[in-house]
Amino acid sequence: MDARRLKESFEHVAMRGHEVALFFYSDLFLRAPEVRDLFPVSMSAQRDRLLHALGTIVSDVDNLDSLVPFLRGLGRDHRKFGVVTEYYDTVGASLLATLAYFSGSNWTDELEADWKAAYALAAQVMIEAAKEDEDLHPPWWDATVTSHERRTFDTAVFRVALSQRLEYAPGQSVAVESADCPRTWRFYSMANAPREDGTLDFHVRMVDGGMLSSVLARRAGPGSRLRLGPPVGSLTLDTSSRRDILMVAGSTGLAPLKAMVEQVSEMADPPRVHLFFGARSVEGLYDLPSLEKMAAQYGWLTVTHAVSGEPEDPRYAGERGMIPDVVSRHGSWREHDAYICGSAAMVEATAGRLGVLGVPRDQIHVEDFGWSS
Amino acid sequence: MTVTTLNGARLTPDQVRAMSFQPARFGRRGLDEEQVRAFCAHVEHELALLLNERAALQEEVERLRKRVLSGPSGAAPAAGMRPEDAHVQAVNVLAKAQQTADQYVADAQEYSRELAEDARRRRDEIIAETRTRCALMLDEAHAEASRAAAAVPASPGSLDAAERQDLQAELTYLRTFSDVYRTHLRSYLEALVRNVDEWERSEKNSLASVRAELPRVP
Repeated sequence: MDARRLKESFEHVAMRGHEVALFFYSDLFLRAPEVRDLFPVSMSAQRDRLLHALGTIVSDVDNLDSLVPFLRGLGRDHRKFGVVTEYYDTVGASLLATLAYFSGSNWTDELEADWKAAYALAAQVMIEAAKEDEDLHPPWWDATVTSHERRTFDTAVFRVALSQRLEYAPGQSVAVESADCPRTWRFYSMANAPREDGTLDFHVRMVDGGMLSSVLARRAGPGSRLRLGPPVGSLTLDTSSRRDILMVAGSTGLAPLKAMVEQVSEMADPPRVHLFFGARSVEGLYDLPSLEKMAAQYGWLTVTHAVSGEPEDPRYAGERGMIPDVVSRHGSWREHDAYICGSAAMVEATAGRLGVLGVPRDQIHVEDFGWSS
Repeated sequence: MTVTTLNGARLTPDQVRAMSFQPARFGRRGLDEEQVRAFCAHVEHELALLLNERAALQEEVERLRKRVLSGPSGAAPAAGMRPEDAHVQAVNVLAKAQQTADQYVADAQEYSRELAEDARRRRDEIIAETRTRCALMLDEAHAEASRAAAAVPASPGSLDAAERQDLQAELTYLRTFSDVYRTHLRSYLEALVRNVDEWERSEKNSLASVRAELPRVP
């Protein structure tokens, strides 16, 4: 297998962008029509994912140390979609047909052999990872909403009970699918540390035009059926560190940090935790009563809340301003471990500010969703 | 009269031509001999044509069968389509259909995003306006009540007249305040309900018109 030849071949084909993915899926659905049911009606997002995954695989084809973990993650991740081993051959045939079609006269027997070998290797790693995973957990967890609370007109906090216990670390997330919006999976963080009864809390804010978030925030209620994928994510507490902790949450980015606060509360010798909770409006501070209750209960926890827009209520007693400004007004944080979660813009601004304040990079923890497919 | 096609033998144009009919016996009614002859000639001609056409078709079928059996790399690819091409064509048709579906979903999502944004904006407007209106109402009710209290006449002939007057004024103030505020609030809430009704109606209308515009998806 010639890595350079593969890369050049893919580079040539990938110039056609979405067309390539469109051809691939159409070819696949013609070969195996039943596979179509595994995907949502709109395939636009799916095409991005395919191109991203293929690009990653090809660019790392000669770097097995990073390629293998990526492929194993993909293989495990595909279990929740109901992908079975039999489909790997069909997918391989469609992939080769697509590459041949877009390579045109550049398609040679050697190239075909290279791609065949590369795909066989990738499929083998994915299938093996999926197999090993079968012994550890089910392809997905069935969940039923037990309580659902609309906190604001677009934000809800709900709890689910599971058919089977799901082990996870506070701060992690799971992909969520709703029976009311099938084949659309979005990641949400658990908002609680693992409980005896295995129930999980989620915080959902409706994204305008977002199909799943609208269903979860507004239509779901007790009895709604969900499916959850396996836990993922690296935004978890570094329990080996003895430093105090800074947490910065924007809107529903609070969920994973609240789970971590619960985790700290179970520690024998908890570090000091300062949690900043920011939103655009006072109403957006949807979980303040619960946080203030925790702060009153735990001496080691301080909660500061802030509103970036003009507070509607002149009696609002919290801080005002953008969250990075508010955080930097309260200290330099150089001796702290920082955990940040919120919108991409908010995370970037806050992490950047902490860097400027002199917090070492390896003490700043943010979620990286780049790998998820 | 005998019919030659009995016992499985097929009728040929020659047989039609050679067919002779005996004249009807005298005194019986017969057919016009000329007419029968002319019709037989026509049948003979038609039969010949049909047989020729049939032979040509047979030949064509043979030719096509040979081509199909000789495979896609066969010697006569001119007008035919190779299976690979047919597959690519099918893939392209499916791709087109997928793009159409993607477009419908994107349009629907965009529309729902616009609706949600609009609802959010109007909600904020209504809340902001309500806050301002309530503050105004309160101010006005205060002012009205103060005027009413100031106008309370001193009741004569009492020992603690001043205290009494104060109480009287306070009572008038409170009564007027609550009257004015209640009236304002009621009229404002009624206006608000009308506003919401109107909004709902216009949204239903616009939804109906959008549905009518959307092409039907089977």
